[in-house]
Amino acid sequence: MLLEVRDLHVEFRTREGVAKAVNGVSYAVDAGETLAVLGESGSGKSVTAQAVMGILDMPPGRITGGEILFRGQDVLRLKEEERRGLRGTGMAMIFQDALSALNPVLCVGDQLGEMFVVHRGMSKKDARARAVELMDRVRIPAAAQRVRDYPHQFSGGMRQRIMIAMALALEPALIIADEPTTALDVTVQAQVMELLAELRREYRMGLILITHDLGVVADVADRIAVMYAGRIVESAPVYDIYKAPAHPYTRCLLDSIPRLDLKGRELYAIKGLPPSLTHIPPGCAFHPRCPMARDVCRTDVPPVHPVSEERGSACHFWRECLDDRDH
Amino acid sequence: MPEQDGAIAATGMGGAMDLAASEATTLERASGGPGGATDTGRPRSLWSDAWRDLRRNPVFLVSALVILFLVLISLWPSAIAPGSPLSCDLAKAQDGPGPGAPFGYDGQGCNVYTRTVYGARTSVTVGVCATLGVALLGSVLGALAGFFGGVWDSVLSRGTDIFFAIPVVLGGLVLLSVVTSNTVWPVIGFMVLLGWPQISRIARGSVITVQQNDYVQAARALGASHSRILLRHIAPNAVAPVIVVATIALGTYIALEATLSYLGVGLKPPSVSWGIDISAASPYVRNAPHALLWPAGALAVTVLAFIMLGDAVRDALDPKLR
Repeated sequence: MLLEVRDLHVEFRTREGVAKAVNGVSYAVDAGETLAVLGESGSGKSVTAQAVMGILDMPPGRITGGEILFRGQDVLRLKEEERRGLRGTGMAMIFQDALSALNPVLCVGDQLGEMFVVHRGMSKKDARARAVELMDRVRIPAAAQRVRDYPHQFSGGMRQRIMIAMALALEPALIIADEPTTALDVTVQAQVMELLAELRREYRMGLILITHDLGVVADVADRIAVMYAGRIVESAPVYDIYKAPAHPYTRCLLDSIPRLDLKGRELYAIKGLPPSLTHIPPGCAFHPRCPMARDVCRTDVPPVHPVSEERGSACHFWRECLDDRDH
Repeated sequence: MPEQDGAIAATGMGGAMDLAASEATTLERASGGPGGATDTGRPRSLWSDAWRDLRRNPVFLVSALVILFLVLISLWPSAIAPGSPLSCDLAKAQDGPGPGAPFGYDGQGCNVYTRTVYGARTSVTVGVCATLGVALLGSVLGALAGFFGGVWDSVLSRGTDIFFAIPVVLGGLVLLSVVTSNTVWPVIGFMVLLGWPQISRIARGSVITVQQNDYVQAARALGASHSRILLRHIAPNAVAPVIVVATIALGTYIALEATLSYLGVGLKPPSVSWGIDISAASPYVRNAPHALLWPAGALAVTVLAFIMLGDAVRDALDPKLR
């Protein structure tokens, strides 16, 4: 297994109290596999990724438990120096908004080249040549000319390609893409996702795709992990989830996708708001919003039930949910 | 600029990617394949771009010329000023312009033109040295406090508070009145001592703001070290306010030297300084206004030139204004 997160707990000390952002997340990604982590804002998907990368702001953040195994080694036990060596070469991250994730005062060639200067000790000139190659690789037109341009001189889609090129530079084994297409318009989204999927196949990387867009996920992901209030509520191969969700939250998410064949009908929306992380409801965190909630949900935290060999659901009534195909 | 046109056209093609990509390769071939590779080897940094911008900015050119002139006359004042600023003829006291003395004579019969030219050296030395000292000390301390936070930050912030509480002129009167050396260095030292908290506060705030940007986290996520993040990603983005405030402060340090000299605690005669001249000329300003106006005018132009320079540099360092 390339990356295995086991029972990770992260909390933030804030003035309003302790915010439990991640409460026992476990997931795994293999080389060449794409895992989509799905969830609303504040469900802990980005925090988990930051903990994996080791770029969590500590304080106020604190990892209170769990392990992050990268190629079998617990990175939480590594020294900061060793950890830094892993970033970029072993694992890399693609950020949501490329405009703010690129340094505005460095031309893109310098930023791409920096990867080679820092990790490979290349000369500035060689690094620049590699930067052009990379820009070609992510299909930026006229790369040789544009290598000296600044981030703000590129369009949104092109910037995201540069971000991807930066993450790819040293051919890491794992790439975490944190909502890589949220800031882009729909046609460009598709192109960027396609590029990512293609590069993943080519380099046989593990890809963790963090998103709240179910539509993006369906085409590219192998497995899906759905997060709610810092827990994974359902994890399954992508086909299974779309066919029959085993958790009411997943079902609600799927129902709130606009569909062409339901044109004219009111779009379903999940009632209520995601819970405040300082006051997560007792029992199942989803129970105040759950259409299937019963008394036991208010008191007992549901364990992860194995639905099948490669599928799990943290719902007391996963069987009912699974059977109830067309509610 | 055909190069830039090509780039803009390429951006416009974003819609049809494959088309754009194939066209890009033709573009590249058209520009001469391997020739393009050598072109990319030319380093083009923020600073070289800023310099290219500055050369075209009239505000910068005017202020830079004034400052260059000031620097030249402070290095070789005798090249344009006749005689010595210290050889005075009481018989000519308060006389108007005459041969060899286009600005007239002051209360002691000294040549105002010669004294004004020689005074530039003091002002430029004080201004430049005090600013360099303040900027170096202040930005290093401020940036470290902002970057590492925690205890460092608290200690530094309380330290700056203490220095802020000292009134500049009163502090100068107390501290400099015990100094016997009649050179510019105690004055410069005093300015650095009282000036660094201003810059350190700005540097600290600027570093904290820049640090929150995604690209700093991105650099960290790609394996950059503390020093690399601080020097390459934070510093260039955080330095603009420091430069602006420092250049404006340079003007005020020149004015402060004049103030302290006017009050009699900065430089004292026989040193030559615009502040001393303004102070000496003020009692008889009604009879001989020229003895006051020329050094005061020189002071005003110098201060203005540095402030304008600061403004131009700030604009050039912001790539978004390009």
